[in-house]
Amino acid sequence: MKQERRLLLLMEKIDKRFPGVHALDHVDFDLYEGEVHVLLGENGAGKSTLMKILSGSLPRDSGRIFIRNHEMQEIAHMSPEHAQALGIGMVYQELSLVPTLSVAENIFLGRLPRNRFGLIDWKRVHGDAKASLNTLGIDLDTHAITGSLSVAEQQLTEIARVLASQPRILVLDEPTSALSDTERTRLFEIIRRLREKGVGIIYISHRLAEVPLIGDRVTVLRDGQKIGTFPTSEVTEDQLIQMVVGRKLTEQYPKHGVEKGEVLLRVENLSVPGKLENISFEVYAGEILGVFGLMGAGQNELARALFGLEPAYTGRIYIRERLTPIRNSEGAIRVGIGLIPRDRREGLIPMLSIPPNITLGQVSQYSPHRVLSLQKEKQVAQRYIKELRIQPPILDRPVLYLSGGNQQKVVLARWLYGDTQILVLDDPTRGIDVGAKAEVFSIMDSLSRRGIGIVFISSEMQELLAMADRILVLRRGRIASIFQRGEVDQEDLLRSAS
Amino acid sequence: MTEKIPLDTKIDSTPELAAPSVSPSLQVRLETLRRWLVQAGALLALLLLSLYLSFATPHFLTPSNIANVARQTAVTAILAVGQTMVILSAGIDLSVAAIAGLSASVSAVLMTSQVTVLGLAIGPLPFVWGVLVALAVGMLAGFLNGLIITKGRIPDFIATLGMLGVYRGIALLVTGGLPVPSHLTATELKGYLPEALIWLGAGDILGFPVPGLIALIIVGLGWFILRYTAFGRSIYAVGGNREAARISGINIHRTKILVYTFSGLMAAIAGLVLTGRLNSANALMGEGEELRSIAATVIGGTNLFGGEGSVLGTLIGAMIMGVLGNGLNLLNVSAFWQRVIQGLVIILVVVLDQWRRRRFGS
Ligand SMILES: Nc1ncnc2c1ncn2[C@@H]1O[C@H](COP(=O)(O)OP(=O)(O)O)[C@@H](O)[C@H]1O
Ligand SMILES: [Mg+2]
Repeated sequence: MKQERRLLLLMEKIDKRFPGVHALDHVDFDLYEGEVHVLLGENGAGKSTLMKILSGSLPRDSGRIFIRNHEMQEIAHMSPEHAQALGIGMVYQELSLVPTLSVAENIFLGRLPRNRFGLIDWKRVHGDAKASLNTLGIDLDTHAITGSLSVAEQQLTEIARVLASQPRILVLDEPTSALSDTERTRLFEIIRRLREKGVGIIYISHRLAEVPLIGDRVTVLRDGQKIGTFPTSEVTEDQLIQMVVGRKLTEQYPKHGVEKGEVLLRVENLSVPGKLENISFEVYAGEILGVFGLMGAGQNELARALFGLEPAYTGRIYIRERLTPIRNSEGAIRVGIGLIPRDRREGLIPMLSIPPNITLGQVSQYSPHRVLSLQKEKQVAQRYIKELRIQPPILDRPVLYLSGGNQQKVVLARWLYGDTQILVLDDPTRGIDVGAKAEVFSIMDSLSRRGIGIVFISSEMQELLAMADRILVLRRGRIASIFQRGEVDQEDLLRSAS
Repeated sequence: MTEKIPLDTKIDSTPELAAPSVSPSLQVRLETLRRWLVQAGALLALLLLSLYLSFATPHFLTPSNIANVARQTAVTAILAVGQTMVILSAGIDLSVAAIAGLSASVSAVLMTSQVTVLGLAIGPLPFVWGVLVALAVGMLAGFLNGLIITKGRIPDFIATLGMLGVYRGIALLVTGGLPVPSHLTATELKGYLPEALIWLGAGDILGFPVPGLIALIIVGLGWFILRYTAFGRSIYAVGGNREAARISGINIHRTKILVYTFSGLMAAIAGLVLTGRLNSANALMGEGEELRSIAATVIGGTNLFGGEGSVLGTLIGAMIMGVLGNGLNLLNVSAFWQRVIQGLVIILVVVLDQWRRRRFGS
């Protein structure tokens, strides 16, 4: 059967650098008719970059792309229009819908059907949009403003849009990160149907559990390098994990059991209108409390609320069993809470060097006229540069030029310097390389051994299962369940979250 | 079809910690070059301009003209120190000259005549009280700007543009549109400005003009605040990345209000110096100085979008503006053309700044 299938796509030695990152290092990739080729790798491995080069939204530094258009032909310069004309349909990881337009307008954006007077045929727009949503098994008002939909609904709309263009090569970039179990199952059915029709599908994921469910072949990327391509039937999950992570699991996730201490943080009935409802939990000294949820389930709001950035919250927050309202970040810092924000760019002042970035959390607590000791500040910085191995250890260069992992360490150092008791980490390993991730985990481990309580939010189930003492699962703003370490696997987490 | 790779060959090859690629070091070099260009570039421009003028006109390098330049530059420099702090915090203050006019007018009226406020007869005030009134008015006006911008959530540009009109209007109301002291007040009430105030604007110490000294002291103060105080640090933080500043616990509203209050204080000082130099105050004095202070700040290398820059650069920027104005005077360029040229210089500088940033990173 394989011999009958024709090659649809061949990418040869694709190379791409971003400032400070070798995002793709001479990567080869191919795709046949009627197959699902899974592209697997951790966050930051280069999966999205490779696909953006394929769809023409990013230029490549070098490498060749061949695409079948009756016969294989080389495409020297790819552009989004060109890619579309060649039948490449791409569901981007970051939603690319226009939030102010309706669902139907988004589905037909750029190719709205017209009647014979050249006017937009709104009846057909909504009819066809409805039909393409129905094939996905979703019932959405096609007049609804896209920005008002849930993340999952937006993702499904985006998928519907790409399917409506009837692509020959379909790229799905982490399409299930916001989807529930049933939505995911339905998407898989559609993928199988398209595969029967001979469509070539590239399915990007960092969820190992999905690979055998959907893939015919799997290619593993790690740190911009291709580790290998295998038929899914010939590799085990354990082998895949090792290829994705690139090192022994105990090295990647250093975790020592710690005696639980006193209750540092107790949250009772925390609600943020429209985002969180009746969240209650506690964090003990030395504990790592993992938080998992599908995209948009309220993790981000939880982190913000604990740090005083959602001042309209209701409910009670106790710090060391003392009722403590937290209405702004100043107040949060004062009672010993620190936050590593989801977007690293929100953590640092890019133009300032390492020392002022580390001391900022303390300096913000001083009265304005307080005179700073730059000498002492440098010593502090040197201490943390050494302790956290921040590279390169240059004191007077803007942090802008540090790599993602090292920037993350600078933000961590800020809270270490501030004697933080409770640390909220909102997806701290997003977009940093595997080595840096291991370092962040090892810092987390040593912090918990010092008695710091950690709230560890992550979209990587792997990380949570390996590092957390308990895992709290959020579903649409509510607590779905709380699991003890060792009691759960990825499937349980997913099922509970959706 | 699928190449069979022996599974265990590549797996255990632990990747080394993010090997730094070639580009960062290149970036560092570009960044160093850019900083050097910003700092040395302005200084170089000042030297070249002065060199040209010293050949083009014999009057430029005379001691009296240099003192004159120092006096003219002083007002711009003092305003620009406040403006630099505002711009560093990612704001802009278009009302500085209006505040200078208002605070000087109020204080001049109170120093030269008796007025009745709420049934209370005030004035004529002695010098020290007059100065305190001016500083208080300036700070109050700046504080109001800050309040409107933060609590009212009005963009800095719009808020200070609106308040520019308000402050000029109040100054006109206070002075009745006349200079203070005017012929009217001077003859009828024998009200003259205190000698000490004239000395602030026109006096000298060992041949060095007092306004120049004041400007230097204020630049020193601004430098100290920005480099060594918690306030200065929060200015850079707020202007460099507002969201990160918030997450670090910086009180953004307080910082912005303080910055605008400080700028108002600088405006009041500049207004007093200008009043002393002109020997009178008037509601519209210092017109155009808001643009000159912004130009001085940007020429001095401060990022127009905040977070990056220093008052030492601003001092050089102010000197360039001063020498340029003086040179055009000496070369007999008409005052009308001078305004055209100064406006174009401001645009040119911003264009150069944008180009420099695009070209050399960030
Ligand atoms: N536009 C960009 N500018 C700079 N760096 C980028 C850009 N896009 C991606 N990167 C970096 O390239 C690497 C690969 O990113 P990406 O392809 O998005 O990874 P993945 O999709 O596998 O999670 C990461 O280190 C990321 O930070
Ligand atoms: Mg991606």
